[in-house]
Amino acid sequence: MIRGRVVGEVWATRKAPGLAGRRLLLVGVEGEDRALVAIDTLDAREGEAVMVSVGSGARNVLEPGPDNRALLCDAAVSLIIDGEG
Amino acid sequence: MILGRVVGEVWATKKHPALDGRKLLIIAPYLWYAPSHETANLVAVDALGAGIGEDVVVCMGDPARRSLGSTSMPVEAAVCAIVDRVELSSDRGQRPLTFLGGRAPAHDAVTP
Repeated sequence: MIRGRVVGEVWATRKAPGLAGRRLLLVGVEGEDRALVAIDTLDAREGEAVMVSVGSGARNVLEPGPDNRALLCDAAVSLIIDGEG
Repeated sequence: MILGRVVGEVWATKKHPALDGRKLLIIAPYLWYAPSHETANLVAVDALGAGIGEDVVVCMGDPARRSLGSTSMPVEAAVCAIVDRVELSSDRGQRPLTFLGGRAPAHDAVTP
């Protein structure tokens, strides 16, 4: 998982099947001047610190189980960080 | 996923059978999250009908392959969304984002 901060949002009406209604967030990677686009199911807001699951496991955030293989998703917000110690 | 702009299209008559009937687009990425993968352009399969000049979200790796119905596709990038608008927050954290080639997404609307 990648730790990051929500820095923006991408709006798209034409999306791949299975992504309809999903929000796309721009997540800035912690400590780097880079960002990735991640699907959000947790309603993360701008400025919030999040963890993003990346790779083929990310689609499990959207839809669990073995029948999700057609989902076109390689990054999904899997938790919103409240605090850490 | 990464954000990029469609800058061209690739046609080929001789290709892997799995790519028959697939539209291949040349994408210029705005940003990469993995420096080791950073490249000026990449080729992605498109099933959504994106056109040249449009901004798209591109899914990389295994999910891109599987979305085409098989794990044996010779594909590692697929268009998963055609972008209407990009909003970037005015406060981008400690470090501003670096866009490849100094280009930012066209619909950059900074939110108040």
